[in-house]
Amino acid sequence: MVKISLKDVGVQFEVRRHGRVTLKEYVLKGMFRRKRNPVITVNALHDVSFEAQEGDRLGIIGHNGAGKSTLLKLIAGVYPPTHGTRDVIGRTSSLFDVTLGFELDASGWENIKYRAYLLGETPQTITPKMQEIAEFSELGEYLDMPLRYYSTGMIVRLGFSIATAIHPEILIVDEVLGAGDKSFLSKARARMDEMFQTASLVVLASHDLNAMEELCNRVIWMDHGSIRQMGPPKEVIAAYSEQQTSTSSKLAA
Amino acid sequence: MILHATQYLNEIWRKRYFWMSLVKVDLRKRYRRSVLGIGWSLMHPIAMTGVFCIVFSQLFGQDILTYAPFVLSGLAFWSYFTGVLTESCQCYFSGEAYIRQSPAPLAIYPLRTTVGMAIHFVVALVVLMVLVWSTSGFGNLASLWMLAPTLLLFFVLGWSVAIIFGVINVVFQDMQHMVQVGMQALFYMTPIFYRAQMLRDRGIGWIVDANPLAACLEMLRKPILEGQAPSMAATAYACSFVLVMATIASLTLAKVEKRLIFYL
Repeated sequence: MVKISLKDVGVQFEVRRHGRVTLKEYVLKGMFRRKRNPVITVNALHDVSFEAQEGDRLGIIGHNGAGKSTLLKLIAGVYPPTHGTRDVIGRTSSLFDVTLGFELDASGWENIKYRAYLLGETPQTITPKMQEIAEFSELGEYLDMPLRYYSTGMIVRLGFSIATAIHPEILIVDEVLGAGDKSFLSKARARMDEMFQTASLVVLASHDLNAMEELCNRVIWMDHGSIRQMGPPKEVIAAYSEQQTSTSSKLAA
Repeated sequence: MILHATQYLNEIWRKRYFWMSLVKVDLRKRYRRSVLGIGWSLMHPIAMTGVFCIVFSQLFGQDILTYAPFVLSGLAFWSYFTGVLTESCQCYFSGEAYIRQSPAPLAIYPLRTTVGMAIHFVVALVVLMVLVWSTSGFGNLASLWMLAPTLLLFFVLGWSVAIIFGVINVVFQDMQHMVQVGMQALFYMTPIFYRAQMLRDRGIGWIVDANPLAACLEMLRKPILEGQAPSMAATAYACSFVLVMATIASLTLAKVEKRLIFYL
């Protein structure tokens, strides 16, 4: 069974205005340092509750900083909830920033393995997929070279090829397709569509409202860290774009 | 509680291919384009042993054939311990990209540091064995099995301090500098290049007797250098020290496992 269930989930953390606190400041805490380096509580998510079952294609929309990425990372298990309960059943795989988390001194082949191992693969399960990943990335001989010499686009291709070669039950996608040339982009789109078909549950955050309406059966509108509206894509997206145009016209006025 | 710990260890085991490959990357990166390769990890203790032998075997009036293995065994342990401590301070920063990508037990990043250092330690141990066998024969063969618990103990000790210092350094980055200063001081308070007896004869034996690292060292030296079992007192002290460290490490992990990412 595959499901996501969030109940009154909140993610709250504290940061210092001037970066981290040093040991000296910690010792002197309460004397005079506190005022200079105040604690700011970031309320990244609050009171988020929803359930998603097998077959759901969940879209998440909202402005920058509305909590979309935090919500995705929470579902993926990267961020723990600081309030409420998070219950996710099923093997998850996430496509966040695919360029992160590579060993620059290792070759492309090796990095395929490391990334796959992190996602829970074993040498037995990854060996048959290696060739397919290599072919999809179209990197050819570059795979023998250390990643240090790759361009950004090449790293994106490699990261995307690895992340999508593993078929998860729950797929979590955060606007990934930034770089890469045109031909790879269309190939990546096709691969995404295929993954949308095969994964039993998909959560997707994007600014591409047309794609959202097409792909999703339910859309969540995030605003200031909480759910503003949730329901059928048409309704929510219409309400969202209406609010967007009204704020932008207000700005223009 | 027990169930939770087993689950956690299980999860670490499931991710073994991941952290083992990171250890491999670290090793390769360290010796990239170097002629001696892993031989460099031996050069340091061997060269230091040479220096100590020249200076202190004269100064202390020690026979060089017994003094050289004595110093080498001390330095091998010491470079393992300081290596783990200083490198672990960076372990969560070097693993940050992974931590932000995919959930995995936080203990695997200190484990990566510890296993890397342990490999160097084992290589140094082989050299030490060869040295002992060539200077004083094979008298220690019968007691070598006693090294098994010692090595396990060292491993748990390394992993625990790596967890503790890795986490502390995320919160207070001054830690890595304090560690360097502290280890330098501790080096002279541990019987690495002098014998504990020398301090006892001068009435300051408490320095080494209170030092848990001295007890750990005895667990390494007795079986290898003298072919004997370590004393009960040293064994008990070393074991309880490691147990305390492991407990602190577990409690630390339990506290920060879900929060560390907010500090990175």
